[in-house]
This record gives sequence, C-alpha cells and structure tokens, in this order.
Amino acid sequence: MEKKVAVVNGGAGGIGRAVVRRLGEAGYALFILDKNEQAGGETLEELRQQGYQADYHVVELTNAAEIKTLFAAIQREAGRIDLLVNLAGGTLHKHPVQEFPLAEWIEVLNVNLKATFLCCQAVCKLMRERKAGVIINTSSNFGITGGAGRTAYAASKAAVIAFTKSLALEMAPHGVRVNAIAPGLTATARVMGGYDKAEWQRRARQIPMGRAAHPSDIAEGVAFLASDDAGYTTGQTLHVNGGMIFN
Amino acid sequence: MKMGRLENRVAIVTGAGQGIGRAIALGMAREGASIFIADINAANAATVKQEITAQGGRAGALCSDISEEQSVRAMVDVALKEFQRIDILVNNAGMFPTSPVEEMQEEEWDRVIGTNLVGTFLCSKAVVPHLLAQRSGRIISLTSGRAFQGAKNGAHYAASKAGIIGFSKSLALELAPHGITVNVLCPGITDTSQPRGHQTEEQIYSQGQRIPLGRIGQPEDLVGPTIFLASDAARFITGQTILANGGGIMW
Ligand SMILES: NC(=O)c1ccc[n+]([C@@H]2O[C@H](COP(=O)([O-])OP(=O)(O)OC[C@H]3O[C@@H](n4cnc5c(N)ncnc54)[C@H](O)[C@@H]3O)[C@@H](O)[C@H]2O)c1
Ligand SMILES: NC(=O)c1ccc[n+]([C@@H]2O[C@H](COP(=O)([O-])OP(=O)(O)OC[C@H]3O[C@@H](n4cnc5c(N)ncnc54)[C@H](O)[C@@H]3O)[C@@H](O)[C@H]2O)c1
Repeated sequence: MEKKVAVVNGGAGGIGRAVVRRLGEAGYALFILDKNEQAGGETLEELRQQGYQADYHVVELTNAAEIKTLFAAIQREAGRIDLLVNLAGGTLHKHPVQEFPLAEWIEVLNVNLKATFLCCQAVCKLMRERKAGVIINTSSNFGITGGAGRTAYAASKAAVIAFTKSLALEMAPHGVRVNAIAPGLTATARVMGGYDKAEWQRRARQIPMGRAAHPSDIAEGVAFLASDDAGYTTGQTLHVNGGMIFN
Repeated sequence: MKMGRLENRVAIVTGAGQGIGRAIALGMAREGASIFIADINAANAATVKQEITAQGGRAGALCSDISEEQSVRAMVDVALKEFQRIDILVNNAGMFPTSPVEEMQEEEWDRVIGTNLVGTFLCSKAVVPHLLAQRSGRIISLTSGRAFQGAKNGAHYAASKAGIIGFSKSLALELAPHGITVNVLCPGITDTSQPRGHQTEEQIYSQGQRIPLGRIGQPEDLVGPTIFLASDAARFITGQTILANGGGIMW
C-alpha cells in the first residue's frame, strides 16, 4: 500500500471513532478492529463517506489466536503497519475488592492489558524489520489515582504505562516509538451511561477546565503522538484530562 | 500556502536568541505565529528576528532580562505595542552554571533561581492579565530531566526546574476555568551551548548511547511538541509535562 497504515483496536468505540476519523484526516489507511459489529459497520460507513480508506474486522481481543491470524492477514494485505493504536478496553466490572470475582478481575486485565500486549507483539517484528513504526497504548487517569471499586481497571491501566516504557526501551534501537495516552473523564456513550445526568454534570464541573473531554480531544493527542512532531518522544504518557490530574 | 497551525497568534519566546528558544521561534513562525524574541543577548535576538523575517514571518525583538520585573514589564508592553495581543508565552530562557552545594555562593543560587524559576513566574504574571482578558492563551515552560533526577553540582538548577513544574501545575489550576492552558516541556540533553558550560564534547555526545532513541536531542526536537501544545489541538491538555527526550527519562 502507498498510504501509511494504521490499525486501531476498539476503533468502533466512543473514543475510537474520533481517533479513526482524525487519523483518516491525517491520511492513514485504516484497519479497525472491534468486537462490536454494528458499531464497526457504522464507523466504516462514516469513514468511507468521508473518502477515507478503511476496513473493519470483527475480533475478540481476548482471543490470542484470533489476534495472531488477523494481524497476519492485515500484514499480507497491506504490506505495512505504520501505526498501532490500542484503544479497546474499559472498567467492565466494579466491585469492592473483597467481592471481586477472580474471573472478572482477570477479564479486566485481559482486555486492557493482555490484548495490548498481544497486539503489540503482533506488529513488533514487522515494525522492527521496517525500522519504523509507532505504537500508542491507552491508559487512564485511574491508572495514576486508583479508584474505589476499580482495583482491576486501575491495576490494568497502571500496568499499561510500565508495559509501554518497557516496550519503548526494547523498540527504540529499531526506530519504533511506543507511548501511551491517558484520557481523563471523556464524554462517550458508555461512560456517560454510567452516571445520571446531574451526577455527570457535577463530575464534569469538578474538572479544572470545567468539562469532560470530548473524544476529539483525545484523538488530537493520538494524532500528535503518531506524528513526526513527537519524533523524539518515546516511553511517555500523554495526559489529556483538562487538568483533572497531572503527570 | 498551507494554513499554519498558529495563524494570527502572537508568541513571546524568552531566550530565543539561540539554542532551543531560537528553534522554537523559527518553528512557530513557520506555522504562522508572530514572534516576539526576548533575550538578554540583544545581538542574538536581532539576528533571530532577521532570520524569521527572511523566511517571510513576522518578528519583533527586545533585549530583556526575565529576572528583572521592570524589564519583563517592558517586554510585554513592547510586544503588545508591536502586535496588539499576546496568545502564547514560551518560558525558555534559562541558565545552568555549576558548583557543589558546599561551595555554592548565595549569589549564584539567587541568580539561577531568579532566572529560571522567578523569571518564569514574572513573565507568566505579566502576560496573564492579557490572556484572561482574551479568555484564551497558552503558557509553555521549559523544565529539564534534572528536575526528576537531580544534578550533581547543579542543585540550584535542579531545584529551579522542579519548581517550574510545581508552579505550572498551580497556575494551570488557576487559569483552567478561563480556557488558558499551562504546560511544561522537558528536553533531554540537547545540542546547544548550555551543556557545553560544564561538559566536554565527548561527554555530551557519548550520552547519546544511553538514550533509548540513540542520540542526544537537537533543538528542532522541541519544536513539534511546542507547536502542538500552543495549537488548538492541545486545548484539553493542561498542567502536564511533555517529555521530548528520546526516552532518556520516562515519566
Ligand atoms: N471514556 C472515558 O472516560 C475514558 C477515560 C479514561 C480511559 N479510557 C479508555 O479509553 C479507551 C476507549 O474508551 P471508550 O470510552 O471509547 O470506550 P468504548 O466502550 O466506547 O469503546 C471501547 C471499544 O472497544 C471495543 N472492545 C472492548 N472490548 C473488546 C474486546 N475484548 N475485543 C474487541 N473489541 C473490544 C468495544 O466494542 C468498543 O467499541 C478504553 O481503553 C478506556 O479504558 C476511557
Ligand atoms: N540544552 C540542554 O541540554 C537542555 C536540557 C534540558 C533543559 N534545557 C532548558 O531549555 C532552555 C533553553 O536552553 P538552551 O539549551 O537553548 O540554552 P542556551 O544557553 O543555548 O540558551 C539560553 C538563552 O537564554 C538567554 N537568557 C539567559 N538568561 C536570560 C535572562 N535573564 N533574560 C533573558 N534571556 C536570558 C540566553 O541569552 C540564551 O539566548 C533552558 O531553560 C534550559 O534550561 C536545556
């Protein structure tokens, strides 16, 4: 392929859609991986209407074999992967730790952390051989502050940061940059649905900039990390949260 | 010509007479910003002004000492007179003399804190009323890896640079309700005159081997992150420290 190729998992989600839109605008050919087929189809249609080159694949990211097969297929088809954005994830389960079922705790870790590891692993060799590439993983404000009821989510998102630093060290000699983005409270349907309206507004007002992030705010951060403007930045976490927490 | 990302903005860049500040000034000018160069070295400031106008940009320059309140006031007055507004302040001017704490003269301590930290405060303080009146603006201040790791024989420098981070987070909280962002930019060792004050050429370049991306920084490496922070794309980023250091420190 002539165009730069970006693979975005969770690309059909609330933040994901804004990210693929922004990357389409930046000229990437897009491969969207997501388990939500309906949202995936809608996202794809929107991108194609905009005239962007895009493809969608349904995938269950907790399935290592599926990931392997899919990335191999993308690599065969596109011949290159310039950018991997690991966005899929979420809190999934919230319980006090004494009541947190092990299976659910592990599920949170599998989606947020292990899928990130597996997708990175799937592109590493190609990027190393081409001596070029950018990887962006997704952390969260909760990865820094922790959150009551969110022991699994916070652990997984803190782990993403340390994983990112370690992979950055491994890949730097090969010209591949690895960074993380840490959104704060972001106005996606999923997250807004977790609060009643008054509570949502109260939380948004508590943020120093007086509002929750719009998914496009996060997309701009991803586009920056992907670009040559961030050419000397690796192993770092970019916090886009309106001043909610500081790195 | 392609629209720049900083079209119609006015930026003051302190210490833009050479090194990182110069690269930032030239880079922001390429994105359409008018640049006001404030440097204690008047000849260098004038040269950079010429470089910007030669590439088709708009620039003003003034000999300024950021550690002197009078001088900072004059800097803002002249910049406003020339460009009618201020949108962006880059607190870049800084100094890094060395002595062990045991022998460090109080005068040297005061000079480093007075320039790096108090100078950042004074310049920020002087532009804030104008940013508030516009309900928009960007302040970007330069810290250093030394803020996190300390500096042997540079305790004043390390303290001043850590101070800039604490100051910026606090100012970010004060200005966030007004749509003004305040962030910090952290270079690693960068190929300018600053490290040459206390290290040999060999010591400087050999550090590239310990940096994950395999080389020391160039002034140009700080340009992209500064433009990003100054542009609309970073509208929801405040109080943060962006590191462009080849992975030398991961934060
Ligand atoms: N929205 C926020 O407030 C917020 C804050 C901080 C961090 N984040 C992080 O940002 C990322 C995106 O969040 P969002 O708000 O857009 O969430 P979202 O639920 O809207 O989107 C997540 C997407 O990932 C997909 N996905 C989830 N699990 C998957 C799996 N196992 N296999 C394949 N696809 C899967 C979903 O189908 C969905 O399309 C997540 O990692 C989240 O933890 C979000
Ligand atoms: N070069 C590096 O390795 C490095 C590493 C980390 C951080 N930094 C920081 O980046 C910034 C720029 O550094 P550089 O390497 O370009 O340094 P430099 O010494 O090349 O340039 C500094 C500029 O600031 C000006 N200046 C000094 N004191 C001033 C004052 N009181 N008023 C006005 N101007 C004054 C100088 O005249 C000079 O033009 C500094 O804040 C520095 O601490 C540099």
